[in-house]
Amino acid sequence: MILQAQPAADHTLDELIAVCIARQVEDGDVLVQGLATPLVAAGYILAQRTHAPNAFFASAIGQGMVQDWAPLGLARAEELWSGKALTHASFVTLACDALHMLTPKEFFRPAQVDSTGNFNNIAIGEDYARPRLRLPGTGGIPDVTVYSLGVYLYVPRHSRAIFVPRLDWRSGLGHTSERRAGAGPRVLVSNLGVFDWAEGTMRLVTAHPGVTAERVQAKTGFPLAVAPDLRETPPPTAEEVRLLREEIDPLGVRRLETLAGTARRDHLRDILRREGVLD
Amino acid sequence: MSALSRLSPADKRITLAEATALVQPSQTLALGGNMLYRRPVAFVRELLRHPQPPTGLTLLCFTAGYESDLLVGAGCISQTRTCYFGLEAFGLAPMFTAAASAGQLRVIEETEASLAFGIRARLAGVGFMPSTAWLGTDLLALRPDVQTIRDPYSGEALVAFPALSCDVAVIHALVADRRGNARLNKNLGIDPELAGIAATVIVTAEEIVDRLASDVDLPGPLVTAVAPAPRGAWPTSAYPLYPVGGGELLRYVEACANGNFAGYLAGVLGEDAGSA
Repeated sequence: MILQAQPAADHTLDELIAVCIARQVEDGDVLVQGLATPLVAAGYILAQRTHAPNAFFASAIGQGMVQDWAPLGLARAEELWSGKALTHASFVTLACDALHMLTPKEFFRPAQVDSTGNFNNIAIGEDYARPRLRLPGTGGIPDVTVYSLGVYLYVPRHSRAIFVPRLDWRSGLGHTSERRAGAGPRVLVSNLGVFDWAEGTMRLVTAHPGVTAERVQAKTGFPLAVAPDLRETPPPTAEEVRLLREEIDPLGVRRLETLAGTARRDHLRDILRREGVLD
Repeated sequence: MSALSRLSPADKRITLAEATALVQPSQTLALGGNMLYRRPVAFVRELLRHPQPPTGLTLLCFTAGYESDLLVGAGCISQTRTCYFGLEAFGLAPMFTAAASAGQLRVIEETEASLAFGIRARLAGVGFMPSTAWLGTDLLALRPDVQTIRDPYSGEALVAFPALSCDVAVIHALVADRRGNARLNKNLGIDPELAGIAATVIVTAEEIVDRLASDVDLPGPLVTAVAPAPRGAWPTSAYPLYPVGGGELLRYVEACANGNFAGYLAGVLGEDAGSA
């Protein structure tokens, strides 16, 4: 007998994004946890706690392989990523050897992305020496997107500033003829919907509850393809929301990716206060 | 005369002030640790207490954070080599972001692969390591010094990442001994290899003991000098001794947002002066 999962009475957008990320995980996956991406960590752990109990995490913090989980935190992130590591290595070994061996999945957050799924995390602005905004850097994006089959993207705040007709700089490789191996991003999850590149160009596959295709197009700076069988993103189940709120992320670290400005700063302060590291 | 002249393989202990005097203008300075974890903050603050801190430095970090942003804000850094310069959940590194966006700082674009393969090349004693990284991206145009080569077996184009080295590497340890053996715990970053590509390796340590006998991440022969620095990573963490000092990082970000980097720096340099 298959029990119909009970939909959550309510959910927030950060919870929906984390659930959409979790749905891309299959049991047995190796999942790379990058830098400052708590929505992704929440999604990975949610997948492990539900349909993918044998997922492993490979974390940039601690450079370890982790099969257990712990609630998300900021000041004590090493208690999960180092404290629970099965084994660990230096970042040199991780970057040169382990990423090739493990064939992991990884979610990246682009600062700009175009219709082919090429993306930019270098700088905003065409003058490289004096950009409008220098970004922190590309981590391993130009390294793994050229060969990986497991690249996914997520955008917590969908806007025309991010979905652009032309990138200022290309650091992540999409579905492009310059590619020699691997594939472009398989799926992109945003706060408006879920997208794929089944036809080589970015395509809306499901729109989140209450979001129309027209609204998504209005927030996207290039013509968006729409799947012929466009549907509504299935909402989180009651159990998924309970796990996120009560067990995986009671501090709400994931919300640091959807909040901005004063609201984000206040939330960050609140997390640090609850962790006992504000003073 | 440098403090190094009195050191012996049996005793490599120097003071933090002596250690910072080893950094000369225009050198390449590498800082160990990763993100907000086990960064050599006490070393950086002591360096900035010099009447004239060194300028024109090239900063080499796997990832650069708070410790490096202090050096940028103080005007010590002319160029950076790192794959990420930021404060993780605390946002952009304010002084780096402002200086790099204004063209006052040269960013030498690096990624995990260019740093890791560059280090491997140096350790192997060869001029480069081949990789498929960057192919098809704009990184090759932004780093015209990085060449492509042809794989002699398959004929395919590969990127030849040049060997990397540095003048001084500073690595913060949980504990070290007189001979330079140092324990870093699990969050290693690239520190074990960093110690192999630096002409001078300075270990700062929470504690210096007579003798470590096991679980050493940096063996003594790789280390030039050890300096005591209790709580020397704070406000970054020294897992499992203390967590990230989140309130202090917030105070830093907010001071910079209010245009008060100088006031913040004067405050922290005064605060722990004399405790070193």
